[in-house]
Amino acid sequence: MFVEYTWLVPLVPMLCFVIIGFFGKKMPHGGGPLAIFGAMFAFLISALISYEFFTSAAYSSPGYVTEQITWFSIGSFDINIGYYVDSLACLMMLFASFISTLIFIYSIGYMHNEGVKRRRYFAEVSLFLTGMLGLAVSSNFLEMFVFWEAMGLCSYLLIGFWSFTHPNGDDASDNAASAAKKAFLVTRLGDVCLMGGMFVLMYEFGSLDYTAVFDTAAMASVDPNMLMLGSLLIFGGVIGKSAQFPLLDWLPDAMAGPTTVSALIHAATMVKAGVYLVARCFPLFAQNPEVMLFVGVIGGITAFFAATMALNNMNIKKVLAYSTLSQLGYMFLALGAGGYMMALGLQSGDSALIAAGAVGYTAGCLHMANHAFFKALLFLGSGSVIHATGTEDMREMGGLHSKMKITSITMLIGSLSIAGFPLFSGFWSKEIVLEVAMHAGDYGAEGYLFLVLWILAIITAFMTAFYMFRMWFMTFKGKPGHGAEHCHGESPKSMTIPLIILSVFAAALGCIILFGFDDYVTIGIHAGQFQVGSGHGHGFMGWLEDIFLSAYTYLTVALVLIAIGVAYVMYSKMSINPGKFNKDGNSLLYKALSNRWWFPRLYDQIGWKMGYGVAKGVEFVDTQVIDGTVNALSSAVAGSGDSMSKVQTGNVRDYASVVVIGIVVLFAVMLLLFYFMGGA
Amino acid sequence: MIPIEVYLVFAAVLFAIGAYGVMVKSNTIVVLMCIELMLNAANINFIVFSAFTTDVLGQVFVIMTISVAAAEVAVGIAILLNAYKLKNTTEADSLTSMRW
Repeated sequence: MFVEYTWLVPLVPMLCFVIIGFFGKKMPHGGGPLAIFGAMFAFLISALISYEFFTSAAYSSPGYVTEQITWFSIGSFDINIGYYVDSLACLMMLFASFISTLIFIYSIGYMHNEGVKRRRYFAEVSLFLTGMLGLAVSSNFLEMFVFWEAMGLCSYLLIGFWSFTHPNGDDASDNAASAAKKAFLVTRLGDVCLMGGMFVLMYEFGSLDYTAVFDTAAMASVDPNMLMLGSLLIFGGVIGKSAQFPLLDWLPDAMAGPTTVSALIHAATMVKAGVYLVARCFPLFAQNPEVMLFVGVIGGITAFFAATMALNNMNIKKVLAYSTLSQLGYMFLALGAGGYMMALGLQSGDSALIAAGAVGYTAGCLHMANHAFFKALLFLGSGSVIHATGTEDMREMGGLHSKMKITSITMLIGSLSIAGFPLFSGFWSKEIVLEVAMHAGDYGAEGYLFLVLWILAIITAFMTAFYMFRMWFMTFKGKPGHGAEHCHGESPKSMTIPLIILSVFAAALGCIILFGFDDYVTIGIHAGQFQVGSGHGHGFMGWLEDIFLSAYTYLTVALVLIAIGVAYVMYSKMSINPGKFNKDGNSLLYKALSNRWWFPRLYDQIGWKMGYGVAKGVEFVDTQVIDGTVNALSSAVAGSGDSMSKVQTGNVRDYASVVVIGIVVLFAVMLLLFYFMGGA
Repeated sequence: MIPIEVYLVFAAVLFAIGAYGVMVKSNTIVVLMCIELMLNAANINFIVFSAFTTDVLGQVFVIMTISVAAAEVAVGIAILLNAYKLKNTTEADSLTSMRW
C-alpha cells in the first residue's frame, strides 16, 4: 500500500528543490519551510513504508521489495530504474530524513541573516537529501551512482556556500571555494574507482541490478579475481566518499561550509553513503576475505589517525570533523571484521562463523545510526556556539555553560554518547564494534591484523573520549575568552528544539540493540540467498550478557573514564598544563598532528610533482607534436603553393613553351614505351 | 612521284617553325600568324594522308579546319584590338597582367 510509493521518498525533496530553486526568493525564510516539509514528508512516508515492509510477508522472504521499469536499453542490455526496499534501506531512509528535518528546522534560525542566499541554501540541501534518499532506495548500481554523484555535486555547492574568505577558518580552509574544489576533486577520485567497479560488475554479471548481482549462484559463477577487483574498486569509491585513509583530507577542509551543512554531510548524508554502500555490497565483498580485510584495515587505520589529529586541534568544528572520520573508521572496521568472518564462514561452510560475521554488519549499521544522531547533535550544538560567539576557535570560548545551558547540556550528552560512556548510545555500538574486531582476530591466517586493529581501536576510544571532553571543557568550562564575552545568551528556539530532540535520541537510541535491532538489520543466508533482516538476534539478555560479562568492556569504560578525567584536569581545573607534554607546541608529534601528519603536503607534493609533470608532458605533446604536425603541414602547403605560383608569369609565350615542352616530353615517353614494350 | 616522307617532313618543319614563332616572338600579330602556320602544317598532313589513301575524309576535315581557323583569327584579332585599346601595345611581354 505504501511500499509502492517508495519513489515518492526521493521525489518530494526533489520537487522542493525545484520549487525553492525557482520561487524561493518570494517565500518566507527563502523557502526553508518548504524544505522542512519535504524532509518531513519523506520521513513520514519512510516510516509508513518501513512499518508496512516489516509487517509484510516479503520481509521474511525474500527479504526485500523491489520494482523496476526500464530506464533505457542498449541492444539487449536493459538499464532499470526502480526502488529496492529492505531493512537497510529503511534504516537509511528513516534516519536520513529524520535528521535532515531537524537540521532544516535548525537552519531557519542559523541562516536567518543570510538574506537572499537562503534560497540557494535550502534548494541545495533539499537536493542533498534527495541524493541520500534516492541512494538508499535505488534498485541498481547505476541509479545509485546517479544519486551518489548528485550528493557529490551538492557537497561541492554547499561547502563553497561562503565562497569568499571565511573569517573563522584556519589555514587550508580559509577559502571556502578551494575547500569545495578539494572535496569535489578528492571524492571524484573515488568515484572513478566506483565507476570502474560498476564496469567490472556489468561485464561479469551482465546486469547492474542488486537482485542480479547479489544472487548467490551468479556470484559463484563469475571469475573470483574479477569479483575481487570489482569489490576493491567499489570500495575505492567508498574511500573517497566516506573520506577514509588515504583520501581523508577533504573532510576537515569541508568545515569551511556552514555548520548545518557539516551536520548534514557528517550525520545524515554524504559520508554515510559510503558506509551504506559497503553494507549494501556486503554479500559481494564477503566473497573474498581479503577484500573485507582491506575494508577493516582501512577503517582501523582511519579511526586511529583521525583521532590523533583531533587531539590538539583548536577549531571546534575540525575536532568534530576528525571525530567523524574516526567514527566512520569504526564502522568500516566493524563491517570489515564481520565480513571477514562471514567470508571465512562461507568458504568453510561454518554457519556459526557466518552468524558471527552478521554481528559485525549489525554493529556497523547501528554505529552508523547512532553516529548520525550524536554527530548531528554535536555539529548543531557547535553551530549554536559559533552562532553565539562568532568564532570557531575554542581558545576564545570557555565558560559558556552558564550562558548557554541548553546547548551545553545537549552537547554534553552528545559527547558522552560519542565517547562511549556506559548506557549512552555510542557505548552499545562501540562495544559491539570492538568485540567484533577482537573476535575476528581469532580466525584465518591474517586474523592477527584484526587484533592489531582492535588494540588501535581501543586506543582510539581513549582518544575519542579525551578530545571530545577537551572540546566540551574548553568550550563550556574554564576561563571565558574574547568570543565568550560577545556571547549574548542562548540561541533561538528553532535551534534549541532540534538540539533537545536530537539529544534524546543521542542518549537512548543505542538501546534498540537490546530490543531486537539485530533481528531487523543483520545479514544472513536464507534459502541459499543473502538476506538483510529476518535474523535471530541475541535478544535483550543476550546482549547484556555479551557486553557486561566481557572484561574488555570494563577495560574500555575505564579508559574512557580516565580520558574524561585527564581532559577535566587539563582543561577545566587547569591543574595540569597540557603544554608540558608537547614543549608548548614545539614537539615533533604536536607539529605532525597540527599538520595532519603532513597529509595536505603529501597531496600537494603529489599534485605538484606528478600533476605538473604530466601537465608538462601533455603541453609538450600539444604544442610540439600536435601543433607541430599541423603547422608543418600548413606551412608545407603554403610554401609549395607560394613557390608554384611563380610559374604563373602571365607571359603567354611561357605558357606556350610549357605546352610545347609538355607535348614533346609526352611524345618522347610514348615513343620510349612503344620501343621497349613493342607496341604498334 | 614524290614520296610521302617529303610531304610529312615539310609539314613537320612548317609546324616546328610555327611553334618556334609562338614561343619566341613577342609581337602578338606574328604569334597569331605562327598559329596559322601550325594549323596549315596539320592541314598538309590531312591532305597528304587523304591523297595517299584515296580517302576524301581528310579533305573534308581541312575545309573544316580552315573555317575554324578563320573564326579563330577573327576572335584573336578582336582580343588584340581590345588589348591595344587598353594598353596601347600588342607586345606579348607587356600583356602579362594575368599572373600571381
